[in-house]
Amino acid sequence: MKRLALSRDALRVLAAYGAAVLLFVIGAFVHPGFASFQSVTSILLVASFVGLVAAGQCFVILIGGIDLSVPWVLNAAAILLTTASLGQDGRALYAVSLTLGMGALAGLANGIGVVWLGVPAVVMTLAMNGIIEGLALGLSGGMTCAACASYAPPAIAAAVHGTWLGIPAALWLWLAVIVVVSFVLSLTRFGRATYAIGNNPRAAFLAGVNVSVTVVFLYALSGVFSALAGILLAGFGGQASLGMGTPYLFQSIAAVVIGGVSILGGRGTYLGAAAGAASLTALVSVLLALNMPEYGRSIIYGVVILVLLLLYGREQRE
Amino acid sequence: MSAAAAAAAESVAAVAAREVSKAFGGVQALRSAPFAAAAGEVHALVGENGAGKSTLIKLLGGRLPPDSGAILLGGTPVRLSGTADAARHGIGTVFQELTLLPWMTVAENLLIGREPRRALGPIRRGAMAPRAEAVLAGLGITHIDPRALASEISLAERQIVEIARVIIRRPHILLLDEPTSSLVEREVAWLFARIRDLSAAGTAVVFTSHRWNEITSIADRITIFRNGAEVGTFDAIDEDEAITLMTGRRVEALYPPLPPVPADAPAVLEVANASLDGGSELGFSLAAGEILGIGGLAGQGHRELFLGLFGAPPLPRARVTVGGARTTIARPADAIHAGLGIALVPEDRKGEGLLLPLSVRDNLTLPILGRLSRLGVIRGAAERRMSREIIARLGIRTPGPAQPVGALSGGNQQKVLLGRWLLADSRILLFYDVTRGVDVATKHEIYELMMRLAGEGRAILFYSSDTEELAHLCHRVLVLRGGRIATELRPPDLAAEAIVAAAMRDADAG
Repeated sequence: MKRLALSRDALRVLAAYGAAVLLFVIGAFVHPGFASFQSVTSILLVASFVGLVAAGQCFVILIGGIDLSVPWVLNAAAILLTTASLGQDGRALYAVSLTLGMGALAGLANGIGVVWLGVPAVVMTLAMNGIIEGLALGLSGGMTCAACASYAPPAIAAAVHGTWLGIPAALWLWLAVIVVVSFVLSLTRFGRATYAIGNNPRAAFLAGVNVSVTVVFLYALSGVFSALAGILLAGFGGQASLGMGTPYLFQSIAAVVIGGVSILGGRGTYLGAAAGAASLTALVSVLLALNMPEYGRSIIYGVVILVLLLLYGREQRE
Repeated sequence: MSAAAAAAAESVAAVAAREVSKAFGGVQALRSAPFAAAAGEVHALVGENGAGKSTLIKLLGGRLPPDSGAILLGGTPVRLSGTADAARHGIGTVFQELTLLPWMTVAENLLIGREPRRALGPIRRGAMAPRAEAVLAGLGITHIDPRALASEISLAERQIVEIARVIIRRPHILLLDEPTSSLVEREVAWLFARIRDLSAAGTAVVFTSHRWNEITSIADRITIFRNGAEVGTFDAIDEDEAITLMTGRRVEALYPPLPPVPADAPAVLEVANASLDGGSELGFSLAAGEILGIGGLAGQGHRELFLGLFGAPPLPRARVTVGGARTTIARPADAIHAGLGIALVPEDRKGEGLLLPLSVRDNLTLPILGRLSRLGVIRGAAERRMSREIIARLGIRTPGPAQPVGALSGGNQQKVLLGRWLLADSRILLFYDVTRGVDVATKHEIYELMMRLAGEGRAILFYSSDTEELAHLCHRVLVLRGGRIATELRPPDLAAEAIVAAAMRDADAG
């Protein structure tokens, strides 16, 4: 009994990975070739975008917060990358730094609003989403500006599409993020502080944890991860488009929840959230393979999240 | 109790349990426990933490169903579906955890479900506070403002509102789980007067407490539990015998002897111009190896003082000298790293002290992670070794360092919290009511630990809601009243009665 209770979090992570594998198996029945190496890597490539956003989301959800500014931080990042680089490799480094800086700044503002102004995370990040949307639309003239037609620098597009040992470069990047984020969360002082704050900010504060700075930093990280996903998506699709960030809000939260991270904070791992991103994307792909129309996919999405929250919520109340 | 005696007792009892068992996960909290309380009787349940007292109260109060056995009311088995159902049967319960709604007023909390209403049902909001005021006054409570939010009043006041809310419903059976743990003498006296009123009117009162003098002063009968089993019911029993039954072993003198403070012990903490209420100021000095008690009624600024010295939030204008050097303590991290190291064990162990879902190890090492890590990476082997050492040194009963702290008993949780500061090697320890809600055996261990710590030259500032503890465990006691030090008591004048007298002198007059 005891042993089972101890590994409950691990079980959730395993369940999320199991779900991903199961979905690929189901997909293979529905659609021959679904589980081929080619198909699996391309599905995981799509999952990596969700997974990167989910890394930031995972950080803030672990402290009981949430980042609703994901859609437009991501979208603005894609626009900023293409317009600042004008599609030239020579300007790629500058554009990437500028874009990541923008993400960090937006996240920093979120954190400052939450910590020092005492604005609830839902309100603060939702407002930030609106502000960035306004800025992006206004400054780009609704994507009619001269630079707005620019493509992502070929180097970035190549980096996303290129492969190493047969695996897309974006997937390698995601793998590195999984390793680094998991390491940070489980083996560093910063990670321990994150879990402490998520469990009980008052007790963490009284144990000497610098709660304010940690929280602000976590929101900034979330902004950076959204911006990073925006850069990769622009490289993946070649261009920025309006509304490209919209699906990532729901998907990032869903991935984190499917991966067993408590929506109330303090419990869960990024390893789980990454599995959540993979299984969620696999689910979408299976539904697509079944020719499920978009409204049907949305309904199934919603139901999956509700069922999981019900199951996990029940467990915690025991 | 023999089976025949149990059967006889339960047939006449207002409330009884017949061989009830209850398990949580793999832990058997109660096994075939019999219990019976008659109308008009005050019945105390005593035992260590985890002995099954709270579980029995929860079963009797309808909060949990028994796994086997039955609850009987007036000799008839009943199946209680919840606390509301229990209330319909005339059972009122004050559970150990406070249940007031923090963002509602005292009046709204007190009158919940029985608000004054207009003809068609809407609540007469304007009438709430006067009604609550009248209800409280009827119970002899005049110092709690019914318009205050529940979150604004002190823990003791919340406990009183919690009790008042139950007793104004005039239950036939009143169950109180550690009602006095956060109350001081005068409030306990108030509660006992209410209990006597109710029992005189025929109510059966069942309560739990860890304070022996309270138990003997009010209980008609005492039932002792150990490890989920009833080990005896007595009309009268002396403390030593009771403790032996509770713990299954003999505990020598409850209060260990105090190590003397060396005459040349340096002052390690000096406080001047500290204002607890924005007005009057106080100052004091604490020497190495000294245990300085802080006494007084609840709400006199103790909490502000302890949190203030720890920087959460800092005391305005206070001049603090740690180990001879002026120190600014703006937040807990400053206090932890100040000179000799300051540690705070707060009042609310679960809310302010521990991270319950996290492991024993995580809880132990949180303040020293800076020291334990290199470039931000925690040195895992060193951390595990230090956790194991402290677990062994304090005798923390846990399957291992990875066990979530929330799964340990209250006393062991408190030891984890103490162990955290031993690991940090803090030389100045602020102990705020560390024995609250802790069973007698663990209390004894904490007392001995305090003596050992003082003997090692650590300085302890100690607040307790139990004045007996203050009188026995401190070299000196400062009694706070209205944000000032009203009296300083030293042996031979240091006695529980003297502390109470000093605390109340003006409070009664004004």
